[in-house]
Amino acid sequence: MLVIALESGPTRLDPRYATDATSARISALIFNSLARPDENLRLQPELAQTWQALDDRTYIVRVKQGAAFHDGRPLTAADVKYTYDSVLKPDSRSPKRGALRFLEAVDWLGPYELRFRLSGPFAPFLESLTLGIVPEGARSDDASGEQRLIGSGPFSLAEYLPGEKVVLKSNPAYWEGPSRLAGVTFKVIPDAVVRALEFKKGTIDLIQNDLEPDMVPWLRSHTDAAIEIREGDIFQYVGINLEHPILKRREVREALAYAIDRGAIIRHLLKGLAIPATGLLAPGHWAYEGSVPQRAYRPDEAKRLLDRAGFADPDGEGPLPRFKLSYKTTNIDLRKRIAEALKEQLSRVGIDLEVRTYEWGTFYGDVKQGNFQLYSLEWVGVVDPDIYYNLFHSSSIPPNGNNRGRYRNTEIDKLLEQARRNSALDERKRLYGKIQQLLATDLPYIPMWWKKNVVVRKPEVRGFALYPDGDFGSLKQVFLADRPTP
Amino acid sequence: MRRFFLHRLLLFLPTLLGAVTLVFALIHVVPGDPVEAMLGETASNADKETLRRELGLDQPLSRQYLHFLAGLAQGDLGRSLYRQSAVMELISKRLPATLELSLAALGVAIALAFVLGIAAAARRDSWVDRLSLLFSMLGLAMPNFWLGPLLMIVFSIELGWLPVSGRGGPAHLVLPALTLGMAMAAILTRMVRSGLLETIHEDYIRTARAKGLSERSVWLKHALRNSLLSVITVIGLQFGSLLAGSIITESIFSWPGLGRLTIEAIQTRDYPLVQGCVLAIAVSYLLVNLMTDFLYRLVDPRIRYER
Repeated sequence: MLVIALESGPTRLDPRYATDATSARISALIFNSLARPDENLRLQPELAQTWQALDDRTYIVRVKQGAAFHDGRPLTAADVKYTYDSVLKPDSRSPKRGALRFLEAVDWLGPYELRFRLSGPFAPFLESLTLGIVPEGARSDDASGEQRLIGSGPFSLAEYLPGEKVVLKSNPAYWEGPSRLAGVTFKVIPDAVVRALEFKKGTIDLIQNDLEPDMVPWLRSHTDAAIEIREGDIFQYVGINLEHPILKRREVREALAYAIDRGAIIRHLLKGLAIPATGLLAPGHWAYEGSVPQRAYRPDEAKRLLDRAGFADPDGEGPLPRFKLSYKTTNIDLRKRIAEALKEQLSRVGIDLEVRTYEWGTFYGDVKQGNFQLYSLEWVGVVDPDIYYNLFHSSSIPPNGNNRGRYRNTEIDKLLEQARRNSALDERKRLYGKIQQLLATDLPYIPMWWKKNVVVRKPEVRGFALYPDGDFGSLKQVFLADRPTP
Repeated sequence: MRRFFLHRLLLFLPTLLGAVTLVFALIHVVPGDPVEAMLGETASNADKETLRRELGLDQPLSRQYLHFLAGLAQGDLGRSLYRQSAVMELISKRLPATLELSLAALGVAIALAFVLGIAAAARRDSWVDRLSLLFSMLGLAMPNFWLGPLLMIVFSIELGWLPVSGRGGPAHLVLPALTLGMAMAAILTRMVRSGLLETIHEDYIRTARAKGLSERSVWLKHALRNSLLSVITVIGLQFGSLLAGSIITESIFSWPGLGRLTIEAIQTRDYPLVQGCVLAIAVSYLLVNLMTDFLYRLVDPRIRYER
């Protein structure tokens, strides 16, 4: 049995309701989906044999034969249709219903064939094929259901104690071949130091990402851990309220970007476990555009831009600021230290940053309501670049989307609409490249860094592959080798 | 005495009502929308409104409050918004773990306090007294989030005697109980010491000695018993701190108790669950205080409760 430490436990494991990263990752071990992103975030068929676009709003999906649920029932098109229908029905309460709004219907064409009908052209349709498939008739509205989930994945649910642990056991009849592990236990250990101590004690076999940067060098020197680090796609940014009288000026946003010394924060606070970001999409993504305006640390340029914008420093190098801004973040220790570093760096160009820390619920509530000047958050697990529509299209201003900074740019709107309609990959890449260039110029977000993925494992844990989004997909190939004798 | 307890029981209800009302008001005032958290940010406004209506969250706060009180009167705390379970069921699963930890911490605190406090009073100004003073100062100065990992490093990693975290057998309880009980032990040690030093010079102690009682009997039977009243008061009051402190200790030691459930409920704005958790903590606290009053009478039968 492999034991993995987690910072927080899953909230729901039913794939129709699992939205937070931990829930989605564990749920994906119990349930298969029609398609799944690979290590490069390209969608690959899983339960789907093929998919084919008949036109820009009709897709035919053929389901593989031979897949079966943990109770031995074969998985067929009827189960797929039931899963999508149960999300789409008006009273489903599924948080994934909104994302499937474009889906008009799923038609059963045969035991292993389905037709997906869209209400209009929607290029990111394929991402919707990542929904985990439940057996026909699986209920979702009772608590005991969460304890008896039946999927078709490489692991089945053995025990689920919310907030404590999730125990999965290997599915011996898994249609792609059984895992070499007897099972996996996900143990919830909220405290970062305690996770490291449990690893040192030997009660934990693997920790992925749920580590404070300070802990990695400590584990390297105090344990025999095998530590792997790989570029990731978790994107940290500073969000900006573009309706704020000072922040709506582009020179000010540029000045902020020039005044932040990302390199120093990455070196000292993140212990090198990140790389400066140019935008939301990381270099490994198929739609990534590298040739965008970048702003390395240049405080003199920041001062020049602020002067030009009319915010001269009233007393030169003296204590009086050019202006004051507030920055909201969570009360997590590392976040507070990053905020203090930002305060110090911005003070060097004459900006007084007031740091306000909140518990998560209050912070996130404020961000969603637009009650902020600056804040910092991260995006995890970006698969389709259509996310830009949700973040920057003028129609996505809350409550209709996540354009929390109230960004409005007609050119961006047009490009996003074109990219959403166009299903040719090359054309989409070109359009999203242009979008990335415009956003890097306009700076509705200040890109900070892409976090690197870190896995700390016992040397005998073999076969674990780091996915850019921290997915646990490779667990089905993991095995425990004999421990080398000294 | 019966009148007194009736009186206390009658006070019990408004106190509970006050705690619940305060939490109800606060949790609704702070930002955060449970409906958005449930349906996701991509949900349509119509869907959000529908769910808000289904959950009764579209009603004025006063009506929601009355609805909550009506449920409470029937012993119904409602259903968790996220966990698809009755709040009562969730709490009943987690409360035993918190009570186990809090009572163990109370036991640790009382045991340490009496041993050190009596020793310090009996050997006033000796190295034992100074050691107990040092213990008290350290116990109060060390926050749980620092003491917990420190104990883990010493007893779990270096000595390998105890598990690092989690809930299991008695061995799992030692470090969290020690962490949680340390501050209380520090306060009680000083209380026991000063209480004993006050009573030890009373006339009846001199009489006891004149009767030829052993020093052990004088200290433990006569002096200690008479100095207990103030200690019991502090124990009763401090139990609330233990319940509150368990929130941090439970997080450090991955202890699946009510404290962690409360934090998770607050983070997701799970209103019924937050209210239920606070109610459970408040009831525990008030019950312990009621028991404290009862203990007064046992310790000192001269106490009369009639007005």
